[in-house]
Amino acid sequence: MKLTLDIWRQKSANAEGKMVSYEVDDISPDMSFLEMLDVLNERLLEKGEDSVAFDHDCREGICGMCSLMINGMPHGPERATTTCQLHMRKFHDGQRITIEPWRASSFPVVKDLAVDRSAFDRIVQKGGFISANTGNAPDANAIPIPKKDADIAMDAAACIGCGACVAVCKNSSAMLFVAAKASHFGHLPQGQPERYERVIKMVEQADAEGFGSCSNTYDCEAACPKEISVRHIARLNRDYLRASLFGE
Amino acid sequence: MVTFLARLFRSSVMIKIIMAVSGLGIIGFLLAHLTGNLLMFGGPEKINAYGQSLRDLGPVLWLLRGGILLFFIAHIWSAIMLGKRNRAARPIGYAMKKPIKATVFSRTMMLSGLTVFAFVAFHLAHYTFGKIQPEFFNREYTLHDGRVTHNVYEMVVYGFENPAYTLLYVLCMTLLGFHLSHALTSAMQTFGLNNPKYSKFLRRLGPSFAVIIVAAYLSIPVSVITGILKHKADIEHTALSNEGGIIKEMKQ
Repeated sequence: MKLTLDIWRQKSANAEGKMVSYEVDDISPDMSFLEMLDVLNERLLEKGEDSVAFDHDCREGICGMCSLMINGMPHGPERATTTCQLHMRKFHDGQRITIEPWRASSFPVVKDLAVDRSAFDRIVQKGGFISANTGNAPDANAIPIPKKDADIAMDAAACIGCGACVAVCKNSSAMLFVAAKASHFGHLPQGQPERYERVIKMVEQADAEGFGSCSNTYDCEAACPKEISVRHIARLNRDYLRASLFGE
Repeated sequence: MVTFLARLFRSSVMIKIIMAVSGLGIIGFLLAHLTGNLLMFGGPEKINAYGQSLRDLGPVLWLLRGGILLFFIAHIWSAIMLGKRNRAARPIGYAMKKPIKATVFSRTMMLSGLTVFAFVAFHLAHYTFGKIQPEFFNREYTLHDGRVTHNVYEMVVYGFENPAYTLLYVLCMTLLGFHLSHALTSAMQTFGLNNPKYSKFLRRLGPSFAVIIVAAYLSIPVSVITGILKHKADIEHTALSNEGGIIKEMKQ
């Protein structure tokens, strides 16, 4: 395959960036999107040019490191797929592909396509945990959990924190991420003691980080590589309201 | 209390709730206003008596108007607060961006909302303050009980006989429909109502409600244009000629 890539190049966080076009050929349709970028980078290095920086780690679709706005969609055109699991056969020979970093004031560009997502870490630090006494691990079956609740918590826990929800949202809102983290614990007995405090603190942190508010357009749900439902946002709103009105 | 209020007016989730509550208040007003409008079909006596009965409320009417104003202020205030934050959240936009699931209605709430707001100002100038088409504003009507009141009926018929005003009305009501179609369903999500048991119903609630409300509001200009709603003088004239017809038939 032969492709034309329009890629956002930015030397450093404070440098001015711009779109630069690259031609790449001999791309196998069986390559992943990131492997295609690896090929581009090897060729750039051979020519003595600076390679394109992008985030990646496991390349198995579970770590949440890869990102990229590909032709105007987070993680590209394939639904429920991370960029590392997106294959070049989803594109056609001669296609022009626009590749941009996540755009949000809370996700500053570090270099080229790599952004700093530590705002998510700070939100998790505010409530993405349960407090448990140390000691022997309790018996696994000591706390009964209904299958339905376990399933919902597991669906929420599938969030890999990639930031596609923020990237696609017209308001750069982190609501789906915050809601997934809150639901993940809020549906389980172990998460109950801190349930209401958690939602208040995590939403406050998301606001402080400068993420926008939720307009309920549901693009986040459609862009999420883990297909996390906006139902979790409704649950977050519910818990938040209850915590604000009735919390001690 | 202080923390609660601080949170109420700062937290994005709470501002959304203020927006949703005030929006529902405005929807309540839209329904009440529509009920009044539909009295047009009951003839001049019905709608003019209704208008007079509203004015008879005196201080209560001002209380209601105050409530509506409060809803509008809260709705606009929350839109400004969230809008400012949302714009700041993405200082550099994308070169290419495609909506995946977001409807055009949900993405243009600010635009449709601003249009409706501008229309409300125009509408007040037109029918409350009488600054637009003043020649039709102070026409009088004598109610059956002998009281003289504003002739709302004639004012509306004259208003919609003007194609420019009718076109503006149709356009603004359509945009109101766009706004409502996202608004009502979105408000339910903001209140935390989203469950597979009724989520399908809630998804359709906004669009269906919008279609019904807009159709009902537009029924009046459509009726004026098609001649279903006529000037009172015309009605009398038709009634007379009908009587003539009956007499003629009887003679035969």
